[in-house]
Formats: sequence, structure tokens, C-alpha cells
Amino acid sequence: MENGPKRLIARYAVDRGEDFELITRFDDGTIRERVSKEDPRAASIMPRYPAAIWFERKIRDDFGIRFEGAFDQRPLLHHERWPRGLHPMRRDVDVHTVLELSDYRPYRYEAIGGDGVFEVAVGPIHAGIIEPGHFQFSQAGEDMLHQEVRHFYKYRGIEKMLEGKTLAEAAPVVARISGNESVAAQIALARIAEAAAGEEAGIGIAARRALLLESERLAHHWTDLGFIPNDAGFAAALAYASARAEEVRRWMAEWTGHRFAFDAIASKPRPWDPEEALRRIAAQREAIDWFEDWIVGIPSLWDRMDTTGILQRFDALRYGCVGVVARASGVALDVRAGEALYTDNGFAIQSEESGDVAARFKVRIAELRHSLELMERFVPLCTEEPFAFPEGGEGAFESFVESSLGELYLAVEMEEGKIRRFFFRDPSFINWQALHRMMPGNIIADFPLINKSCDLSYAGNDL
Amino acid sequence: MLRYWQKRFRTGILTERPEFDARMKELRKRLKKGIAKHFAGSLAIRMVDSGSCNACEAECNALSNPYYDLERLGIRFVASPRHADVMLLSGVLTFNMLPHVLDAWEQIPEPKWCITLGDCPVMEAPFTRTFAIEAPAAEHLPVAHHIPGCPPSPDRIIEGLLEFLEKLD
Repeated sequence: MENGPKRLIARYAVDRGEDFELITRFDDGTIRERVSKEDPRAASIMPRYPAAIWFERKIRDDFGIRFEGAFDQRPLLHHERWPRGLHPMRRDVDVHTVLELSDYRPYRYEAIGGDGVFEVAVGPIHAGIIEPGHFQFSQAGEDMLHQEVRHFYKYRGIEKMLEGKTLAEAAPVVARISGNESVAAQIALARIAEAAAGEEAGIGIAARRALLLESERLAHHWTDLGFIPNDAGFAAALAYASARAEEVRRWMAEWTGHRFAFDAIASKPRPWDPEEALRRIAAQREAIDWFEDWIVGIPSLWDRMDTTGILQRFDALRYGCVGVVARASGVALDVRAGEALYTDNGFAIQSEESGDVAARFKVRIAELRHSLELMERFVPLCTEEPFAFPEGGEGAFESFVESSLGELYLAVEMEEGKIRRFFFRDPSFINWQALHRMMPGNIIADFPLINKSCDLSYAGNDL
Repeated sequence: MLRYWQKRFRTGILTERPEFDARMKELRKRLKKGIAKHFAGSLAIRMVDSGSCNACEAECNALSNPYYDLERLGIRFVASPRHADVMLLSGVLTFNMLPHVLDAWEQIPEPKWCITLGDCPVMEAPFTRTFAIEAPAAEHLPVAHHIPGCPPSPDRIIEGLLEFLEKLD
């Protein structure tokens, strides 16, 4: 890597009663620090790892730990009227606390000053059927100088909600953290359970999970392949791609009883017809071939996508970006590359170099096709073995899953079979922070296109 | 583009499951009639997500795909609450979203209706209550109708809208 040897995966804290523990997970290991409760402060790593900005601001809101050397000390989860001094992840704060509105403390947006420079505020409620979040632009005419992403409008307190529950009790909530990546989250939790029980899923169960995970990726990528051209004014692509996404949702409903496969990983597999599954996969392969052949011949569309919203490889590495966003900027990072089921069945990382909207669009096409190839191989491996959450569990466990949005990281601490600390890092939590690096040099009218090409989750990010 | 129109022509209207399609046809007919009667043929919906998992939003978006194609019945999802007749509310009403939801509601001109979508706003989804959740929605807004499901599938949303229109009869 060009900038430092490590990739920051997560940074979070745990209330240990007497004091706090600050846990920092890098790609090469974990660092643990004690932080005193009387005077909770720690050294900031944000000057070196820009993605640490949100992690540290979140820890400060959650636990009241201050970071020395941090250049950004603003609240993150706690909005204008959040009760002063309430840090809800501390163990002495009850999960059912009723919040009293405090006085209004305005949020100070990052803004660029200067002659003729103005700000544009967008959100939290956007035009269209989209999740809520806020974007603040500093503009010089049409040109975006800077953009700040401000989120956590959807903050539901899920980390605290799951404390004290067993994994089986937590499972329906975990499946609904983010509808875009429900299967991935369910698999992450199942792997935690298996690690806690010292077991490993057999190939039949793993293949069935992978089949659903890839189906989820298909539905998600098809939706994006429609919405990205739609945001460039090419609506025909949305009509075509959304119909394909609908077909995937319908087969997921047949296979699991639910269009998003909610709760499917922990329930008994339904009887299914593998021959029929293979026919549908084949039809989708034809569909993606036709779509690509058609869409490459629309020059006015590529005019909008080429060189728009570039994320340099340097920035993708510096921020530790994951998923399609990283792969489109030449960073070959994919959790599946380390899983035997995938590598034994011909998995290859799909990537591009140019880092623009076009690159992210092309990676999605390539991944969609590759997912279908993999699924053809997974179908015969699937068995109807059921999976159930084992009882008990003691210790700290973690798991990684490549969701349709990128690397999902889950860390769970168990005590006598119950969750003591639940930490969920959505891939979007990293990628949102790098989004502003794509804006300078582009006009504000291209923001929706750039944003859609990354297609990040708000619900998973906000928790 | 010629290729697209060739394909479009050959594909025709998408049908996959005759029984499902027959039911949808019937629902569409009744929905169109209800909208003509109560909203002069044009029902404008402002969808507001107050802390959902995004599956309800995905299903609302699916209503526009060629299988359902809701817009041709006179239903439009509008950008501004000032253009809306109905607020379709999903999610658990988070502490951080509540003031913005109430703002949006305030901006919808009378007469207006609030329809809750999915199990979250009525606290029937698996989420248990936390400090950050302000649902049920009925404690904060005059809810006229509820469409259950986690998430409700597109055909269930259409049925739910139909039930709402029948309430107005």
C-alpha cells in the first residue's frame, strides 16, 4: 500500500465496568487499549487513518471518550436536540431511557468560504423513494468544491438493542438491519454462532448460503444497473433492469418464502427444484449479455459516466474503501477471495482501474455475470440440511462477509450465551466517508449519478 | 436503440404467472376506479422513511417496474410534500428523524392522509424499543390507514392502497 502498511477495518469501545476498552481492528490484527472512566481520553488516529473520523466521533457519542489530537470533535449520532451528556452505550444507561429534547445546538457543517462560494443543503428527506440523510455542498457556480455527508437520521440504537439477547433472539433483528444486505448480515451472525460453538458449516449449508448471498447481489446490482443510467436521464435501462431484479426477488421468495430472504439462513430450507433454478440462472445470463451489448452502444450515456466522480486509488487505499467502490478504483479486495467454496469454484475478483462512475458500472456488470457463473456451480452442491443457532457461547468472535455493498464486519462478545457487545460495521460506514473525494471537479447535477454509482446503505450505516 | 425497441416489441407485456397476473389485473382496475372517484384520477404520494431497513422502499420502487407499473393507474410518488395527498410512512420513527417527519407532514396541504407502511411504524417488526425509537407512529400523527408486512410485497401494497380508498367511500 502507498500509505502506511495497514487498512483500518473498525474502531469501537466496550464498557468493562471499571473502565473502557478501546478496540481497533486493522487488517493485520487487533489493538486493545484501556481507557479510564474517570478521565476518558485516548489518542486519536484520524490524522493517519481518515476513516477513523466517524469511528472516533461515534465512540465519543456512544461512551463519552474524548480523542486527543482529533481535528474533528463534532457529534456524529447525536443531532441538534440530543440530551446533553447522555452516552447511551455506557452500561449504566438503560436501553429504554426516554430521551428529553434538549436545547437546539446547531451542527457546524464543513464549508468552504470565499467570494461567490455558496452552500447547498440537501436532505434529510430526499426527492424520491430513498433513505434519509443529509448532504451539504460548497459550490462555485455549478462546480462542487466540497461535500459533507451527514447521516444517522435512521439511528435506531441496534447495538444496544441486542445486548442481553441470545444469538437466536438477535437473528430477526440482524436480518433487518439493512434490507439491501440482509442475507450477508444473517450469514455473518451464523458464522459468529458457529465460531462460538467451535463448528464449521458443511459444504451443503455453505453452498446454499452462497446461493442466497449471490441472489441478493444480483437483485442489488440489477437495481443499480437500472438506476445509474436513470440518473443520467436514460430511463429505458431502469425499465429493463428493474424487471430482472423483480425476477430475482420472485425466485428468492420461492426458495425462502421471502422476497428478501429475511430469516432464511436460520430456517429450514424449503424443498426446491434445482433444474428450474439452473434454467432461471441461464435466462439471467442471457439477460446480462443482452443488457451489456445494448448499453455499451449508448454513447450519450457513457458521455455522462466516463471520467465522472473519480475516486483515485490512492484515496481508496487511504480510506480503506471496500466493495465495488474499492474494486472500481483498482483495489483488489473481496472477502470471497479468501473462502474455499468460492476459490474452488473459479472465483475471480472483478475490478477496474479508472475509479469513475463508468468503472463502478462496469464492475457491477462483471460481478453480476460472475455471480451467475458461480451460482450454476453452487446449485448442485446445495443440501437441505437445516441450520439452528447453538445454545451458549462465551468469548469474543468476529466474522466477515462480502455483501452486495462490500466487506461487512461483525464482532460479537458473548457472556453465558448472551450478547454482551454487538458491533456491526457496514461496508457503507467506510465508503460514505470517502464519497466527498469523488466530488471536486464535478458539477452538482452529477452528484446523484455519482452517489448512485456507489449505492451505499443508510440503514446499515446508521444502525 | 433500435435493438431495444425490437426487444420491447418481441417481449410484449410481461406475464409469468397467469393466476397472479389475473389477480393483479383485477386489483389495478379497482384501484384506477377508486383513484378516479376520490382523487380525480391522480393520487400523489410522498414516501417518507423514518428509520426503516430500506426493504419497504425497495418494494415501493418495485411498484414502478414493468411487472406492476403503478404509475399508469394515476399513482405518482412525488418529490415535494407540497404536491402530495398522502404521506406513506415507513420505519420506526427514530428520535433523529421525528422532527423532519413532522415537518414534512406539516408541509402537505389539506386534505391529507397518513398511511403507515410495513411493520416498523406500528412496532410489530422484530425491533424492540430503544431510547432512539419513537414509534408507534399513531402517537405522533393521525394515521388513516396501515399496510402491514415486513416488507409488504408490491401486490400487498397495491391491495393496501385499495383498502385505503375503500375507507374513503
